Amino acid sequence: MGKVLIETIYIEKKIKDHPRTKSILSKFKKARYIEIDRYGEVFNKRNQNFRIQKSNPALILAHKNDGFVLPAPEGFGIGASKNYYFSHMYNCIYDCRYCFLQGMYSSANYVVFVNFEDFDNEIQKIIKLNYNTKITFFSGYDCDSLALENVTGFAKHIIPLFKKHSEVDIEFRTKSIQINPFSSITPQENFIIAYSLMPDLISKSLDNKTPSILKRINAMSLLASKGWKIGLRFDPLIHGKNWKCLYEELIDIVFKSIPRESIHSVSFGPLRFPKQMFKDIFKLYPDEPLFSGPLSRNKGIVSYNNEIEEEMTFFCQTLTAKYINESQIFKCLA
Amino acid sequence: MIKDTFKENDFSIRWVIALKEEAQIIITQFKMSLLSQTSVFPIFKNFDGSHWLILSGIGRHNAAAATLYLYEKSNAPRWTSWINIGIAGCGKGNYGDLCLVDKIINNSNSEKTYPDTMKRSILTRMELLTTDFPITDYNSKELIDMEGSAFYDMASKIASRELIGLFKVISDGPSNDIKKLNKSNISDLIKSNISNINTVISYYELLSLREKKIINKPELFFEISNQWHFTVSQKHQLDSLVRRINTFGINKDIKCLLKDCKNSKSVISVLNKQIESHEVEWGRF
Repeated sequence: MGKVLIETIYIEKKIKDHPRTKSILSKFKKARYIEIDRYGEVFNKRNQNFRIQKSNPALILAHKNDGFVLPAPEGFGIGASKNYYFSHMYNCIYDCRYCFLQGMYSSANYVVFVNFEDFDNEIQKIIKLNYNTKITFFSGYDCDSLALENVTGFAKHIIPLFKKHSEVDIEFRTKSIQINPFSSITPQENFIIAYSLMPDLISKSLDNKTPSILKRINAMSLLASKGWKIGLRFDPLIHGKNWKCLYEELIDIVFKSIPRESIHSVSFGPLRFPKQMFKDIFKLYPDEPLFSGPLSRNKGIVSYNNEIEEEMTFFCQTLTAKYINESQIFKCLA
Repeated sequence: MIKDTFKENDFSIRWVIALKEEAQIIITQFKMSLLSQTSVFPIFKNFDGSHWLILSGIGRHNAAAATLYLYEKSNAPRWTSWINIGIAGCGKGNYGDLCLVDKIINNSNSEKTYPDTMKRSILTRMELLTTDFPITDYNSKELIDMEGSAFYDMASKIASRELIGLFKVISDGPSNDIKKLNKSNISDLIKSNISNINTVISYYELLSLREKKIINKPELFFEISNQWHFTVSQKHQLDSLVRRINTFGINKDIKCLLKDCKNSKSVISVLNKQIESHEVEWGRF
């Protein structure tokens, strides 16, 4: 991760003396600090422009009051009977053109909740409640789980909790090559470090400000060599000229770089937006090539038509099945 | 770089300034002329209509009313940048400094707002207290004015918050008596900051240009929609189709293909057919 440039940090009064707040602020000594009452005063206000904010987002340090852990949307999972997600942060330092976060908030500023301990308590409650049930937690649904790790230290904080609870799985989904939290500890069987991937040619156009696909593969390879389980998330699948060749090439490189036994699971997700969200994102980037693709509206969802979706998923699943067991392959529909 | 692809008047700037003495240098620089002697507030505009300026007079009510009045009179498009500039008292900074406002407190109801600010600026950023009465107790206060909160509240209803900027020149404080302020030194205070003000102008002009480039419909859209009658929903379809055609780089012969179309429905059908046979070529972007 390159140095994150932050000119402004808004700080909720309630947490201004929190040790984590102080630690984060110490990393941005040149930034202007502005005290606020609640993060809603500056985040997601009417008439904010996501696109302009995205060019230079501010950081907001806040206290989360509720909703620490939520059930994952239906269709989001890798085999467990129950799936939950938590987000210590809203928004992302990357700028991927297919990302739902663009249509989720009118603000591109990063909100970081510093009361990590409340996440711990809620996670533990859920583990207790689901005793004897196979559950998976997903970190980084409303953000990238590792991209701002240098600043927040959230992964480093949460790792010991999941080390203690080896009966549940935890997935860190990321595009970041920031692997520090994992490189200094013993690999854990219940941890999945999952990387979002797409063909390099497409990624260069859509994954703005992210590490390249090659760098992500190198990071995965390094983690695998240390014994960590890797998740491969081909999500979303993007259509375009020569898509078959592009995905074939990508899958080939990935499986040549990561030993099969290191792969926990592979999932494929179609490109899908709720209608209103698509409208909002299209307004932000009306000339985006992604939206020139063969998208159609069906039952309130904007996506590639069924035929394309099925063909792409089938093609990629078939290729992947050459390398790993089919029981490790999932379709992500959330 | 972006500027090269635009005509000079493609950006849109609106100025809301309390006093003529504060505005004079801007009026002169952009060769603005008074629109009418009889309007509610004096409005000035430059020759191509890219810069409009209103003199609001002192106070919150005037500032809010003038902002809305200018919005309506100038028919300000969505990509307009709104700038408020003026003098302010200050308990902390240096006399004559131009400051950027990033927090506003309305003294009458203690409401706080947080304007977005110009990025990568060397200007000092400060909090602004907007009050209905002149304050001379500067103790522990940053900037003090009588219009800022009302300007921002109104402007943020009609424009993206990121396109609004408030700038204050420190004119009085513990060591500079407010009673010494007169027309001449108010004018001098603004003039002495003209270089910084020009940087501010360039920033907001560029922001406005970029917004326009994205928001505005492509030229081909207007060429087509002027020839046939489209319903509102068809216009949305047409906008999206034209943008896709531009993305695919197949806009060259489109008008020729459309020449036999009888109505908007057939136009849309022809455009759809053109697009169907194309796939996104990712290496091109």
